[in-house]
Amino acid sequence: MFSKKIVLAFMLLVGLYSASYAENTFSKMASGKPTLIQEGQKKKWCSVCGMNLKMFYKTSHTVKLKDGKKRQYCSMRCLAVDSHEHNISLDAVQVVDVNSEKLINANKAFYVLNSKIKGTMSKVSKLAFASEDEANAFAKEYGGEVTDFKTAFAKANTSLEKDIAMVQMKKEKKMYPMGKKIFEKKCQESIDPMAYKEINQLKSAIASDDKLCKPLKEKQLQAVALYLWDIKRVDKSKEDIGNIEIGKDEKCPVCGMFTHMFPKWAAQIFYKNGNIEQHQSFDGVKDLMKFYFNATAWGSYEYFKKENITKILVNDYYNQKAIDGQKAFYVVGSDVSGPMGNELIPFEKEADAKTFLHDHHGKSIVTFDKITKDEVSKLDK
Amino acid sequence: MSRKINLYLVEYAINALFRNRSKNIFIMVVFTLLTALLSSIFFITGSIKHELQSTVDALPQIVVQKIKAGRHYDIDTSVADEILNITGVSEALPRVWGYYYFENAGVNFSVMGIEQYAQQYKKSFDTVVNKFDFDELDSNKQMVVGEGVKKVMEKNYYNKYFNFIKPDGTFKQISIAGTFKGDTKLESNDMILMSTQNVREIFDIAQDKATDIVVKVPNPEEVTTIASKIKLLYPDSRVITSNDLQVSYQNIFDYKSGVFLALFIVALFTFFMIIYDKASGLSSEEKREIGILKAIGWRVDDVLKEKFYESFIISFLAFLVGTLLAFAFVYLFQAPLLREIFVGYSQLKTSFELPFVFDIQTLFLVFFLSVPIYIAATIIPSWRAATLEVDEVIR
Repeated sequence: MFSKKIVLAFMLLVGLYSASYAENTFSKMASGKPTLIQEGQKKKWCSVCGMNLKMFYKTSHTVKLKDGKKRQYCSMRCLAVDSHEHNISLDAVQVVDVNSEKLINANKAFYVLNSKIKGTMSKVSKLAFASEDEANAFAKEYGGEVTDFKTAFAKANTSLEKDIAMVQMKKEKKMYPMGKKIFEKKCQESIDPMAYKEINQLKSAIASDDKLCKPLKEKQLQAVALYLWDIKRVDKSKEDIGNIEIGKDEKCPVCGMFTHMFPKWAAQIFYKNGNIEQHQSFDGVKDLMKFYFNATAWGSYEYFKKENITKILVNDYYNQKAIDGQKAFYVVGSDVSGPMGNELIPFEKEADAKTFLHDHHGKSIVTFDKITKDEVSKLDK
Repeated sequence: MSRKINLYLVEYAINALFRNRSKNIFIMVVFTLLTALLSSIFFITGSIKHELQSTVDALPQIVVQKIKAGRHYDIDTSVADEILNITGVSEALPRVWGYYYFENAGVNFSVMGIEQYAQQYKKSFDTVVNKFDFDELDSNKQMVVGEGVKKVMEKNYYNKYFNFIKPDGTFKQISIAGTFKGDTKLESNDMILMSTQNVREIFDIAQDKATDIVVKVPNPEEVTTIASKIKLLYPDSRVITSNDLQVSYQNIFDYKSGVFLALFIVALFTFFMIIYDKASGLSSEEKREIGILKAIGWRVDDVLKEKFYESFIISFLAFLVGTLLAFAFVYLFQAPLLREIFVGYSQLKTSFELPFVFDIQTLFLVFFLSVPIYIAATIIPSWRAATLEVDEVIR
């Protein structure tokens, strides 16, 4: 019964991470017992990302560190990540041969890149074969090009940034919230992720000790481990910037409209007037900027000084959460307009701003300190 | 001039009503039936509109299905991960669900798979997930059913469990762990919730497949852009946004309410016929009565006041009784006969209850359509008679 559950959990994992869209016959999972070279219970999981090695066995790589410790990764992507942190000699890298499922010297292996098979934690899959013939045969069936370890590794390094961003997005949108829920419901509050050196150590501790967490399925275990490792351990004590809250009677000092009617576009400036913190709410970044550049033009706001600003809040266009306006990226000249016409559209991440610029025919991306008075007044023309 | 109601006039008006007992009872009955019919129609449309709106509100913003040869197929769960990577998407959840036809009762159940720790795309599911642990339900082979579903099952002697017939013909017995109340009546009347694993087994859905994928977009203005990106990414998919669905639901509803409108016009027309009949003239007896009253010293405005009281009492009473009858008819007895017009609106065979929606506007509408018109129809001919010379009337 128990083993059946594990198999089910494994199958779920396959479904989630590696099911290839075009091909269903090929599986990256080990068909028999995988060769795991790390020591102890933690050997089941990748040292970098914590993913199950049996599941992604056919893309697995292993290394020996200088101090003699052995590490095994789910994929070349994790090897690349680790090579930036530890001084890893690439000569000793071993890889799983897809056909024989045995560890072979990676430098002598033939890699098939960019086949129809989906990559592990990367857009491009990198599968290794012992002989060139086998690699060619595979490439004939599933597409892709045959190359050697050095080229493959260089590719993994160049695409690393994008791959990390892709995985990070998924973690943030899916794994962390799920991990948090499971942690709060099934685990001991006292688990200290700082006590573990690697994520796979943490995973094996949780998996082997029912006191830490009630029994979890593999996918749930991964979610909890990621949440603990990435969120709790790093302790992103990044203070919560708060929400934009607007009273029913607040009017935009620039255009005079009730701001609460347009919560999506609301923006606020907080500033100190003497010892009291006051704020003004605007129905768009454009009006906020007009006020910021010349407050007295909109009424007797002599007490407003740029030096006294404590914070500026704007809403990220995509996720509609309040962000720090002074650190945000703004897209100018897009086809999206706010309640007062053309707008500066705020984003927390530059990548999001770029996507938006492309989707909505924006003209440029500016940061807060680069916004000029002329540019703002041009928006009204 | 005092503004007080002249009680003698009211007394006279009541007596006048009793004098013409049979005629007034007839008017009262017709009037009551008319207001009852009118307000029932408004109540039913109001209720259904409310139910429809809450159904539409609960819909996910984008649903992605895989289409093969023009038919709906199971979609790969990995598609959800790809969609999650699109900027502006906050959640992409593969759903595992389906309709299970229960032959004995002739109804369709919606069997939904629930992942305990994933984000839920419906608020009502969040409460269910807090109440029940679907991981435990999974290992105990249990499910949570809507209140209406429970009743249907009990009628068929499934009190503690239900036997699902799998595609290969074997049974899958799942016991009932409890009931839940959905956001809408429609939801609780046909929904069964259980772990995704069990749903996969009942409908024979592979591990890496899902029925469809629901996508959540925090900024509603981005829905169209994201929908077109998904379509570009997966040309074999059908991308349905909640706006599309709202339009198609609205179409069904508008068609049905067209039937109601016809009924409404007939009722209103009948009412105006009666009014016209009354307004076209007073009987000679009534004219004589007004004449005599004037002869013994009533002023014109006294006569009009008396007539006003008389018509107000009868029409307002009829209005009150009529709306009360409508309330009872629609909400207590669930509008037998009339609601048959709406059967099939949900495209499912499940029954639904009309939720109680109190809309003061409809009451006012019915009031102003009936009471003032009747009063006017009584007062205007009386005023004509009252302004005539007394001897002309009595002679």
